[in-house]
Amino acid sequence: MIGAFTKPKRRTRLVWAGVIYILVILAVGLAAGSRPNNLLVWVFSFLLAAMVVSGFVSGFMMMSIRAIRIEPRRGRVGEPLLVRYEIANMSRFIPAYDLRVDEWTKASRRGWSMRGRARTSAVQTPSLEVAGPAWVLHIGPRERLHGEAVFRPKRRGLVRLGEFEVSTKFPFGLMRKVLRFHQVGEVLIHPEIVALRTELLAKVTSGGFGGHRLSSEAGGFDDFFGVREYRPGDSIRSIAWKRLAGTGKLATIERSRSVPPRLRVLVDLRVATANLRTVDAEDARELEERAIVLAASFIALADRLGYEYALSIAGFDVAPVSLRKGHFHREKLMSALAALDLDAPRTKGNGFAASDERATVVVVHPDRAELAVASVDAWHFTARQLDSLREGAPLTEVRA
Amino acid sequence: MILLRQYRVASFLLVLLAIAAFAIAELDFTTLFLGVALAMLSWYTTEGPRGRSLATWVSNALTIALAGYCGIDFAMRGTIEDAMGSLGRFLLWLLVIKIFSRRSENDDRQRFTLATMLVLTGCLESVDLSFGAIVLVFAGLAAWTAMLWRLAHGAESARSVRAAQNGFAPPLEITFGRRALPQFRWMAVVSLVMIFACSVIGFFLFPRFAEVRIGEVGRGSVTGFNDEIDLRGGDRITESRRELFTLQWIDGAGEAVQASRSLLLRGAVLDSYDIAGQRWYARRGGQPLGTLRTMTDGRLTDLTRGVAKDARARFRARFEMRSLSSDVLFSVYAPVGIATSESRTVSIDPSTLLLRDVSEDRGVGLWYYELLTQPQPDAVTMEAISLGARVRPASERVSFPVAELEPIARQILEDVSRTANIPPEPSADADLAERWTRNREVARAIASWMKSNFTYTTDLSGFGRIPGEDPIVSFLTRYRSGHCEYFASALCAVLRSLAIESRIVTGFIALEYDERGQFYIVRESNAHAWVEVRTGEFGWTAVDATPEDSLYAIQERNRSFADQFRWIYSRLEFLWNSGVVSYDASSQQNIAERVQSGWREAMSSRMDAVASRMRAVAMSLSLGRAGDVWFAVIGVGICTAGLAWLIVVVRRRRLRAALQIGQLSPREQARLQRDAAFYIEALRALAAAGAEKPAHMSARAFGEALLRRNAAVGAAFQPIAEEFYKVRYGGMGVGKVEANSHVSHVLALRKALRHNSGKLRVD
Repeated sequence: MIGAFTKPKRRTRLVWAGVIYILVILAVGLAAGSRPNNLLVWVFSFLLAAMVVSGFVSGFMMMSIRAIRIEPRRGRVGEPLLVRYEIANMSRFIPAYDLRVDEWTKASRRGWSMRGRARTSAVQTPSLEVAGPAWVLHIGPRERLHGEAVFRPKRRGLVRLGEFEVSTKFPFGLMRKVLRFHQVGEVLIHPEIVALRTELLAKVTSGGFGGHRLSSEAGGFDDFFGVREYRPGDSIRSIAWKRLAGTGKLATIERSRSVPPRLRVLVDLRVATANLRTVDAEDARELEERAIVLAASFIALADRLGYEYALSIAGFDVAPVSLRKGHFHREKLMSALAALDLDAPRTKGNGFAASDERATVVVVHPDRAELAVASVDAWHFTARQLDSLREGAPLTEVRA
Repeated sequence: MILLRQYRVASFLLVLLAIAAFAIAELDFTTLFLGVALAMLSWYTTEGPRGRSLATWVSNALTIALAGYCGIDFAMRGTIEDAMGSLGRFLLWLLVIKIFSRRSENDDRQRFTLATMLVLTGCLESVDLSFGAIVLVFAGLAAWTAMLWRLAHGAESARSVRAAQNGFAPPLEITFGRRALPQFRWMAVVSLVMIFACSVIGFFLFPRFAEVRIGEVGRGSVTGFNDEIDLRGGDRITESRRELFTLQWIDGAGEAVQASRSLLLRGAVLDSYDIAGQRWYARRGGQPLGTLRTMTDGRLTDLTRGVAKDARARFRARFEMRSLSSDVLFSVYAPVGIATSESRTVSIDPSTLLLRDVSEDRGVGLWYYELLTQPQPDAVTMEAISLGARVRPASERVSFPVAELEPIARQILEDVSRTANIPPEPSADADLAERWTRNREVARAIASWMKSNFTYTTDLSGFGRIPGEDPIVSFLTRYRSGHCEYFASALCAVLRSLAIESRIVTGFIALEYDERGQFYIVRESNAHAWVEVRTGEFGWTAVDATPEDSLYAIQERNRSFADQFRWIYSRLEFLWNSGVVSYDASSQQNIAERVQSGWREAMSSRMDAVASRMRAVAMSLSLGRAGDVWFAVIGVGICTAGLAWLIVVVRRRRLRAALQIGQLSPREQARLQRDAAFYIEALRALAAAGAEKPAHMSARAFGEALLRRNAAVGAAFQPIAEEFYKVRYGGMGVGKVEANSHVSHVLALRKALRHNSGKLRVD
């Protein structure tokens, strides 16, 4: 956050319209100098004055502009990432117009800088693509406004944001006055979630007893749990009439609370990327990414269906997460998947220590199923099946 | 939003103005009404409830057809001089097509560019006041529209980026603060004022190398008269009702009167004819010009240098300028005295008695000048005015270079002699006076014959130029109709063919007399040409062959209701012509000298006043020579005190901003500025190390941020932040112990920064 404290760097860039405008000025100046036509002289002076005043106006306007980025903690591939910028006009009198905010990347510089031609080398944030820059029409003196930019996350992982620019081409669009703010920020991009077939998890958890367990708490509407003394407010439908007839005391029948199925998703990343078995020039890294996407999609589906779910990652020193459900749990698992660095060395452990828990195990492999990684009743999927498991894909594909 | 909606209206008005400007520059009122009407129709069709526009292919086809038509038209009929006009007409109609086309952002840009090019083309065509006024308005509106366009374009580009995401990104919600519209107006007005002010400065400073003469610039000649006659000229002469100047004719008793006949106001004398060019022109390099400086305050300067004493039959002609700004001083024949609105250098051509303002410091033109004139001057007076220069020896043979005109001239003389009483040809030994008398009679008789046998017209469309035949011959033998230049040319040519010394004079004829104001109004359409026949050693007699009744008839025909208000416009036009159109290198130099001398005088007078005051004070205090030293010491002291005061004010302002104590009482502010100085000192040290505290962040949050970045620096700053809170919000007084503690904290921070400053910077 120290970067936010530094003063903005100022730049002036000439844009194409400005270049053409200068050529027009030169042409009019030539005509005015070669003919005794004072009207042309005035027009030339006017054009020149407009350019000079344009520089002054935009310069004064930008002198008191300050901005900070308010980046979100996380985003998701395939979903818009909204980044807000708080822009403050510290000036007492001068309003600012036409302010555009861009995340600065070396390749994103437009026009020519007064300090040399724009470089087009490395891009700082390859994981993000601009889907709509922040733009503020007007900000009055002593006002603060928020502009909102939209990015399209392209790849999961940690994205580092460095500098961002607040620029304007007001008043005439002849030059771009730029303030560049240095503010380091990080956004964790979660893997993409693919809408899987809804019935998939039901089928997976229906076989065996992995996902099922007896209910241990009363308070639901399912099977008989027990009888207790009547309390005022109990529903008349739940009164145990037979016991009333036998004992003469009111009693209430309690029913068990429904217990959601349990699912543990195991991502098998033990094999290094280079050793994965690929066919037809498949990208091994892409297979791993798809495996992560499939795992994330299983988690998202389980969350949507109300399951309890957990995540294990084989091949990395990531502690297995216990079975739970809820928004925060889901975000925790997604963050774990998002933070995986596939370039890091792999470990031998399978990360599936909780072998005694009663849960359906779904193992996601990047290239091919390796049954030894989990118990015999586990379900194995490969990254190549991702498309066939999507909602709406032909059923035959699933069987295949 | 209103601000963005205004852009469409402003851009439409801009196009409308560009069309009107070019049509006015071309003086083409058909185009003006047609173009403007079509443009207004486009607003209804494209922006109206139905919002229809031309299909792209129709627009393209029309553009190609227009380009083809304009190209062929220019190839068939155009001249190089008319190239800009042709280009402008093409741009104008292209613009009309474009405003009927769809209005995308790109189309808007094209329209803006076309409108600007159209006005620039018009600038090459005209310098008239009306056009200049439209250009001023156009420039202001263009700047305003460009600002609005910038905002509309910014919104549109931000929207389009989001729209290109196919619903991925939420639509743009335009963010703007309070009072966006009034603040935009304020900013736009300030920008425009700055631009106009800079453009005026640029206009005055732009380097000029040549003298600008009105009439040389553009199509809109502002005098109406020329110092040459080109008989190959256009088909129609101007009938402009523009008022150039007024003329008051004052008799010897000082009463303004109407002259018994129309007054001929001389501007140029053309004494040579070019057969190849078929034009009359003034032969240069004759007698040296005499010059004199007129007196200030409108007092009369005697042109006869005191020779002419008799003032009984003299008239005064008072010229007041309305739109004419020229260096030519129009006069009736034989001016014997001159008075000008301000002192000027006036030249007199001894052979023609033409007056011209040759002042080097000629800024704006003369507002008025007055000429003393004598209708029938005696020889002594004439010799004095002519500086003793005889034009040509009387014995010299006079001829006209068109040989086939001589038999025609003789035939005309023969025809005229039958009806008019012309003295017989004098013998070879006859004296000059007799010869000159006959010459005058011959000239008058031929002029009278032409008036009755020839027709006056301003439309020469029927006057076809015949290859190999001089237009004067065509006029005399074939068409017998034309305007004053043909009448004057024919009369002069006939007279010269008859060996009668004559010359053409161009200028104005004063016909229209305003009874109420008791002056003549001279309009641009009163430009005239006539003939002068030599009738003396120094004297010439004016003979006009043009039928005067026709001139009066045209004058009456063109009279309109608007004439009575035209003088307002004419006054403005005078200012425009004298101040803008004719602004040249000499005017520039004059202004520079005036400014320089004025500045120098003002400075020296002030310095003198200060010095005298100091001397007076020194004398009153009996300081003697030491007074200067004392004053120097006091001056330095005042400057130092002022500088110190400035530094204190700036420092206090910065402190108030940093501590955010602007709303507190002055006493509390003073306390905090004193007691919280250690905190400011710490912030300054951190800023120097590259960690400036943002205004929106509290001291404590800033300390935590520092701690995350660098533990040592953060730890050193945190006690300072805590102490600051105690002072700022806890109302803690700072005694000696606390002050020492604060100093030690700051020193600790500085020490931490010395060891860790590199880690604070983010590259």
